[in-house]
Amino acid sequence: MASVTLRGIEKRYGDNLVIKGVDLDVDDGQFVVFVGPSGCGKSTLLRMIAGLEDISAGSLELGGKPCNDVEPARRGIAMVFQSYALYPHMTVAENMGFALKLAKVPKAEIAQRVERAAAILQIGHLLERKPKALSGGQRQRVAIGRAIVRKPEVFLFDEPLSNLDAALRAQTRVELAHLHRELGSTMIYVTHDQVEAMTLGQKIVVFNGGRIEQVGTPLELYERPANLFVAGFLGSPRMNFIPATLAGEEGATAAVRLPDGSVAEVAADVARARVGATLTLGIRPEHLRIVGEAGHGAIAATVGLVEYLGDVVLVHLQVPGVDGMLAAKVGTGGATPAVGSRVGLRFDAGQAYLFDEAGLAFAPSRTRETLQAGQTAGIQ
Amino acid sequence: MNGKSNLGWTVIGAASAVLLAALWAAPLLWALSTALRPELETVSADFHWLPQTWTLDAFARTLGAGNLLRWLFNSALVALSVTVVTMAISLMAAYAFSQLRFRGRSLLFGLAMLAFLLPFEALLVPLFRTMNQLGMINSYAGIVLPQVVSPVVIYVFKQFFDGIPADFREAAVMDGAGPLRVLWSVYLPISGNIVWAMAIVTFIAAWNNFLWPFIIVTSNDMMTIPLGLTQTYDAFGVRYAQLMAAALLGALPVALAYVLFQKKVTQGFLAASGLKG
Repeated sequence: MASVTLRGIEKRYGDNLVIKGVDLDVDDGQFVVFVGPSGCGKSTLLRMIAGLEDISAGSLELGGKPCNDVEPARRGIAMVFQSYALYPHMTVAENMGFALKLAKVPKAEIAQRVERAAAILQIGHLLERKPKALSGGQRQRVAIGRAIVRKPEVFLFDEPLSNLDAALRAQTRVELAHLHRELGSTMIYVTHDQVEAMTLGQKIVVFNGGRIEQVGTPLELYERPANLFVAGFLGSPRMNFIPATLAGEEGATAAVRLPDGSVAEVAADVARARVGATLTLGIRPEHLRIVGEAGHGAIAATVGLVEYLGDVVLVHLQVPGVDGMLAAKVGTGGATPAVGSRVGLRFDAGQAYLFDEAGLAFAPSRTRETLQAGQTAGIQ
Repeated sequence: MNGKSNLGWTVIGAASAVLLAALWAAPLLWALSTALRPELETVSADFHWLPQTWTLDAFARTLGAGNLLRWLFNSALVALSVTVVTMAISLMAAYAFSQLRFRGRSLLFGLAMLAFLLPFEALLVPLFRTMNQLGMINSYAGIVLPQVVSPVVIYVFKQFFDGIPADFREAAVMDGAGPLRVLWSVYLPISGNIVWAMAIVTFIAAWNNFLWPFIIVTSNDMMTIPLGLTQTYDAFGVRYAQLMAAALLGALPVALAYVLFQKKVTQGFLAASGLKG
């Protein structure tokens, strides 16, 4: 096992700076997920850690040792590729043992280590098959097995589940989490799938445009997003954003004016903003409640679309003055509003977020925990 | 209507194919027919498609006289050497041009491709002078070396390697393989059919090459089959049966090689064309 330390890491292709100074600490044995939209630089950074891409600036340390110029095979790292990259002309056993063969490990030991890894992954019966005779899930296991036999200090996964169907992806997620507990190795996992990020990662690193937006545990990122990007990226459906202006501040509560003229309360510390400042109000779909009708402080909305997902119903709502539609998650037990009907929307002050003009989140006020515990403030 | 029309086109197509095949096969069959006649019958005024008297005499005389076995050996050695060295050089060059990143890569590849523009005939004199200075006239190295650089083969391999996902190389690099090991253990097995196809084409071209051996070889013992056939004419006078027998014997190994590896050659060309791979 080894820690991974990145300091001021940059990657440049000609004049194009794609990784813009990344600082990150990955502890021994930690499962860290790099997440972000396509082209944000997460895979490039993973490849730089692997040694497949040169580091333009900054330092990389693995287990406390500088590794910028160390050959990929000598970094104590194994990587599972998105395509699995299993050599098509070799059997599963040959694929898994190839690195050991190159390292001139005795044949008996290669066989022993391949069998042990195969047993962990339950692929012992596949060892003599060629990759073309395997299913997607089996190939994925073989790719992981190829990494395991090397006994690396750090595992790197580059979107390894993206070629699997939804059911297999969910199953493999669980198996990967189990594998991490069993091996206890440091693992860095790249994905654009926030569900994978939230379920697998002990620490999540959110990337955007070659920079780290926020680092934290899944719960920290979900409950305390640092900015609009993180708030919008994590969560499905994404957080609802409503333009607002700061109407006032009273104690630990901010009052914001919404496009329809109503005023809502949010438990946020807005001391750095002035009254009248343009803000963004954020409410997660599960925190938006649909009430019978508008008025009495509820936001007026029209139901635009209803999606039944089995365990939950997604109601998409049009609100005057808001671009696009807001989403509300409601249970399947109650009555679902019909498309085209006029409804009212409410939310709790302790479950809403405020962001300044630059998109940075205001810290939640100390009253938030109390409010989240049950007190409803919300819209007036 | 449609069915009848389709049947008509099928019949026309089949008839055309048979006609073309007959046209292609006619010289070969005529050579065989001539080689199986007594020498006297080949110059007879009476024309017959088939021999009036069947005999293997021409083959026996060809193998017994002249230097045919020696020329066959020379051709085999030269063609095999050219094939092996060309494949080795072309695979390494193509891998470097396709997968490795180094300063001047595009320029070097451009220069290699420029060789397309130079006809071999234009290089005859400088090549001959070079070989002469190196003392390689009438030597196997002298026959082989100028034939081992093939821009076409490099280009075909490079195009094929470009189409192989880089993940394979990167996985091998992570496994601890250097460039030669990646080429040998990963790219070469993946490219099996295209390598076979290029090897067969190179072998046939080297076997049939007349011009360069004609320039570099003066000794009868160092001649290859195409060159030796011209000597057969001189040695036997106008002996058509023996000439045809020698030509058939000379072409036999190439035909055999093609028949043996026909499937791989076809698959290789399909893979190179992108129709299947």
